[in-house]
Parts: sequence; C-alpha cells; structure tokens
Amino acid sequence: MSRSNYFFFKRPIALFILAMTLILSGGISANKGLEIAKLSDKNNDGYGDSSSSMTMQLINRKGDVVERKLAFKRLEVPEDGDKSIAVFESPRDVKGVAILSYAHKVESDDQWLYLPALKRVKRIASKNKSGPFLGSEFSFEDFSFQEVEKYEYTFIGEEVCKDLMCFVIERRPLDPYSGYTKQMVWIDKENYLVQKIYHYDRKSFHLKTQTFEDYRLYKDSYWQPHMVKMINHQNGKSSILMFEDVKLNTGFTDKDFSQNSLRRSR
Amino acid sequence: MTVWRILTITAFFSAVLPGEIIGEYSIDNRYFFNEATQGQDKSHTSFTLSPELFIEEGERIIHIKPKFRKDNKDAERNLFDIQELYLLEIFEDKEIKLGISKEFWGVTETTHRVDIINQTDTSESFDGEDKLGQPMIKFSYERDWGLLDIYTLIGFRERTFAGQDGRLRFGVITDTDNPLYISSAKNKRVDFAIRWSNYYDNFEVALSHFSGTTREPRYLASEKKLNKLSPLYEVIDQSGLEMQYFFGSLALKGEFISRSGQGDRFTAATYGLEYTQVGILDTRLDLGWIIEANHDDRLVSSPTVLGTRLTLNDISDTQILSGLTYNERSEEIGFLLEATRRLGNCCLVSIEGIYFDDINEDNGERKIFQSFKEDDFLRIEFIYYFGE
Repeated sequence: MSRSNYFFFKRPIALFILAMTLILSGGISANKGLEIAKLSDKNNDGYGDSSSSMTMQLINRKGDVVERKLAFKRLEVPEDGDKSIAVFESPRDVKGVAILSYAHKVESDDQWLYLPALKRVKRIASKNKSGPFLGSEFSFEDFSFQEVEKYEYTFIGEEVCKDLMCFVIERRPLDPYSGYTKQMVWIDKENYLVQKIYHYDRKSFHLKTQTFEDYRLYKDSYWQPHMVKMINHQNGKSSILMFEDVKLNTGFTDKDFSQNSLRRSR
Repeated sequence: MTVWRILTITAFFSAVLPGEIIGEYSIDNRYFFNEATQGQDKSHTSFTLSPELFIEEGERIIHIKPKFRKDNKDAERNLFDIQELYLLEIFEDKEIKLGISKEFWGVTETTHRVDIINQTDTSESFDGEDKLGQPMIKFSYERDWGLLDIYTLIGFRERTFAGQDGRLRFGVITDTDNPLYISSAKNKRVDFAIRWSNYYDNFEVALSHFSGTTREPRYLASEKKLNKLSPLYEVIDQSGLEMQYFFGSLALKGEFISRSGQGDRFTAATYGLEYTQVGILDTRLDLGWIIEANHDDRLVSSPTVLGTRLTLNDISDTQILSGLTYNERSEEIGFLLEATRRLGNCCLVSIEGIYFDDINEDNGERKIFQSFKEDDFLRIEFIYYFGE
C-alpha cells in the first residue's frame, strides 16, 4: 500500500468531507454555468426573423484567401429551436445549393440539402453534421443554433478576455453525434455575450478557437456578432465569417422555411 | 447549330432580358479504349451551353434555362432543350408552377425507380441523371400532414438515344424519327401525377402515382426503316413508394414501383443503405458507403451495386465516387469512377470512367452489358460558369 492511499485509508472522515465538498461545489458550479448560459442565450431571443448576407473567407496556412457567399434567413420559433435557410451564391458551381435546418432544443436538428442541378432534396444524416462546412474550418454543427438544453455546464471561473471581464464555463455536448467532447466558453460579464470558444475534439485535444467580434444590438434586445473567426490549430487554417445587411422583422413566415421553400432556390 | 450561333443567341438574350443572365459552358470529351463494333470513332467531343435567368420578386419566381448541345460525331446527340421556363406563384401554404420544369422524386443513389416526371436524356450521360424539361401545371399544397404535389403534364418528350455514329448504344439503332404511341393523342397526351411526402422524426416517406405515357419505352422492329428499332411508348399506370430511415450515420433507403400497361403488371425495387464515416483516420475526409440491391420482375436477375463516396472537404470540394456493379446470374461486373473538383471560382472539372468486365465469357445467361462490351471509356468534362 502506497503512502497516499494509506493517508486516505486512515482518515475516512477527511475523505468524506473532501468528497462532499467536491460534490457540492460541483453542483454549484453546474448551476452557475447553466445560469450564465441562459442569460447569454437571452441575447439571441426576440429577433423574430432576420435576413443577412454572409461572406466566408477560407484562409490557408500560406495566407491565401478564397471567398464564399451565402444568403441567410432565419425564423424564431417559440418553444422550439429556430428555422433557417442558407442559399449559396458563390462559388459558381454551388450557386443555388441550399440548406434548410430545423433546430430543436434537445434532440438532433433536422437538416436537408437541396442540389439544384439534380433538383434533388437530400436529408443530412445527424452524425454527418460534425464534418467541415463547405471546406471551411467551421463544421455544420458550428452553424446550428447553440440551444442551452444541448449542453451540460460547469462554471470554471472568471478571467480577462480582450478588454473585458469574462466568465469561463465549460460545456459538454449532450448530442452523441457532436464532433466535440467539450467546449470552453468565455462570456463577458457586462452583456453576457459569447466572446470566445475553445473546441476540443473527440480526443479532448484543443482543436479550434472561435472568436466573436463586432457585436451590434438590434431592437434593444438582440445581439448579432458581425464577424466570427475560427482558427484550426491542427492544420493552421482559419475561416472568417462576416455578416452584412442584417435585417430584422422582414416578414418571413413558416412558408419561407417550408420543404417547398427549399426547392424554390433556382 | 454551331457554337458561334449559340453564343450569338446568348449575347442577344442577355441584351434584351432584364435581370442577370448567368450560365455554364462546357466542353467534354469521351475517349473509348477499344474499337467500336460498328465502325464508330474512338472519341467524340461535345459543347454544351446553358444560359440561365432567375428572377425572384416577392412571391413570384420566373426561371428560364435553355440548353444547347453540339456533338462533333453523333448528330443524335445534338440537342436544343428548354430545361426551365416557368412562372411560380407562392401563397401561404400553396404553390402553383406553370411552364416547363424538372422535378425529381426518389431517395436511392444508384437507380431511380420512382422518378418519372421528366424524360431521360440518355444520350447525355450513362447514369441517366440528365433530364429533359417537361411542360406542366403543378399545384403544391403543404400542411402538417405533409407535402402534396399534383401535376398535369402537358405533352410528351421522347427519350434521346445515341445515333449511328454514337457509342454506348444497342447493336441496332433506335429509330427516333418513327416512335410508336399507344395513345391516339400520340405525344400530345395530357398525363397526370400526384405525390405525397412527409417526415416523422428520422423517417421519411412518399407515395406517388403516375398515369400517362411511359418514359421508358419498349422496342419494336421499325416498320419504316430496315434494321432499326422503334421506341414504343405505351400508356402506363405506376404507383411508387419511397422510404428512408436515418440512424446516426446510417441511412436505410428504398424505392418500390408497381407498373401496368406494358404487358403484365410488374414490380421493381431498389433498396439499400448508405453509411458515412465522418473524418476517417483522423483527417477531414469523409467516406460514404453505399450498397444497393435491385429487383425487377421483367429481368431474370438484377445487379447489386457497391459504391463509395470520398469527400475531401478541401477548398476545391474534391469528390471521388466509385461504383462496382455485379450481376450474379450473368456474372457481369461494371466499374465506375467519377471525380469532380472546382478550379478557382469559375470552373469545375470532372473525370468519369466506366469499365465493363467479363462480358465475353458465355455462361448461358443473357448479358445486360452485351451491347457495351467494347465501350469502356474515359470522359473529361470542363465547365466554365459565366455571370455572377
């Protein structure tokens, strides 16, 4: 028997107290983590519906840049996840390709892909969402809405991030098909906006860092970042997502996110 | 029609029509490894131009997309087709489409049993995925109970076939000048189709029925031309069922049809699975596996297909498809390889190869690929996209 084991063995009361402390603090930190996540999620509420143009820059290790453009529409669905449709505008060979997503609070999102050349709609299998999105460092998963209910939280502490003071929470995806084992999320204390996310891959290796910039407030309640960066530490590549022409209350209804709407793109 | 005339017409249209004209221009060359059985050439080249105009204004869409193709060897491959020329009006839960369009039905990857709205442009490609525009009035209704599409199909499009100088054809030429119809309205018959589809969590289902001129003809000896076959377009009724179920990375798929009107009623099916390995070997590559089996009452045996889809997830969206088709009874094997890759922001290059094996060995069974036994080929296509 080693010395350390002997130490615990002889002191059952000390061990009990230590265990209780861990359990209780664990409980508190989980609650606090969840509370922060919920407050942060409120910033995504109340947009009703929105449209924007997205430009995605893919940057390789040498610094070469290529661009992709998408038109993006979304609709807030009370009591469930949101609906969205993204239509590719460039590169030209994928112009008109569209992705329709119905996000859900707990269960996996439903996603369909429309291929205009074949006029065909194909459903995207749940697990395939962990793969790269259009050759970028973002995965399909990074594009779906980060519903609070989809993660388990632990409060880690507080830390300076950029020029702000941030909460640091750890979250673990509950979706078995997620490509991540955990994510560390930095949320500022002032407006509860997500500033930075570390993504850990299936081997718990720090794979990617995502940062959110240029937040703008709409309708006094909804915050939209206008620039999102993703750096992949494994391959040295990065992707930048820029949102332009963000419009709220454009009058979209369910029909703009229907199965038929997907087939309407070109 | 020469390429220059096509370009002049495009230039003319872009000058007079509102909106932005975009389109694609492609050149492809098919090279056959063996000498043809009937003296056709070992290679042919074709040019395709397909300008496109898409106008979306509020709840109304206008879409125009003609297609011109010119082949340097086979005149039967020359084509002028209107792929899209329609007006779409959108209402809250309804849609009406008037004009010429393409509509796809189905879930499987290798054979499309249920898909029937559009005629197949067989002379374009070997996989049968290229279609001709179909004039229609389509009414679409979408509610909680699913999506209901009702089609009135006005007029009929004949199937295209490779001609005398073309390859990948039967030993006997199809006499496309003298098609035979059962309906007295011939190719003017008005056909009907209906399809309902819905999804329940991970289960998707569709039921359909088509009543009209068959897209897939039978053949009779031509009465007008010696040693030619006339396509016989009978009037059929075809019911279809499509199902797919998703479980993680696995998709189970099936398409089933029952058709009457061409001799005895028969059933045919394609069913199988698709499994995707995301990020194989700790890379960003995805590898998809497709296994599909076929059944057709009309045939003694149908092939089973094993396919793979390798997606590189790179900046060029490189994708490599392979397919191995095996027919147990006739012991025939076919192998297909297709790779596509984007070049810059303007272009796409695609390479396709098909190899037919074991066809000469006579085992007493009818060979499905018999006519194509010398037609192993490699095809290279380069597509240039114009307009923004």
